Amino acid sequence: MAAGLRAVRRWGLVAAPPSLAFTRSAFAVKKANNAQPNWLGVGLAFGTSAALWALLIKQHNEDVMEYERRKAHKCKQCS
Amino acid sequence: MVFLPDESRSLPPPPLLNKGTVWLGFAGWMSALMDNAFNQRPIFGAGIHRQVLLATLGCFVGYHLVKRAEYMHAKVDRELFEYIRHHPADFQPKGT
Repeated sequence: MAAGLRAVRRWGLVAAPPSLAFTRSAFAVKKANNAQPNWLGVGLAFGTSAALWALLIKQHNEDVMEYERRKAHKCKQCS
Repeated sequence: MVFLPDESRSLPPPPLLNKGTVWLGFAGWMSALMDNAFNQRPIFGAGIHRQVLLATLGCFVGYHLVKRAEYMHAKVDRELFEYIRHHPADFQPKGT
């Protein structure tokens, strides 16, 4: 995720890119250090994923319950 | 313009594993793998958190897109059948 953002910044910095589009000026951008994990980023990513799955599964279960409820009641006020 | 009107909840919800969630989840995962490739990291082994996040995002978006697509198709079908019901003369079998 962070590397993707860096890539976008890189493209903005390089006005006329040479054949390899992912070069960047060493004066402007910090070198990416993939050896040391960005634990905050990792935690946020996993946390967000867990939250999204929980949200998705909750939404699906709510949808199923709502559908069953409407089917059972033959809802006249629902469409 | 509402993404999912209330009457869409009267439709049976799609299963969690459907074309949309699988395809977009796969696309999200692929984009994480491509990000690894472009940044010269090990393709499968690096950025697991990124792969998981993008795949999850794909599944999430896919599920809601499939719900909307099913609603739009059901709406069109309903309008079609209403039209047929209102114009029976136009829909007689040939020869009668």
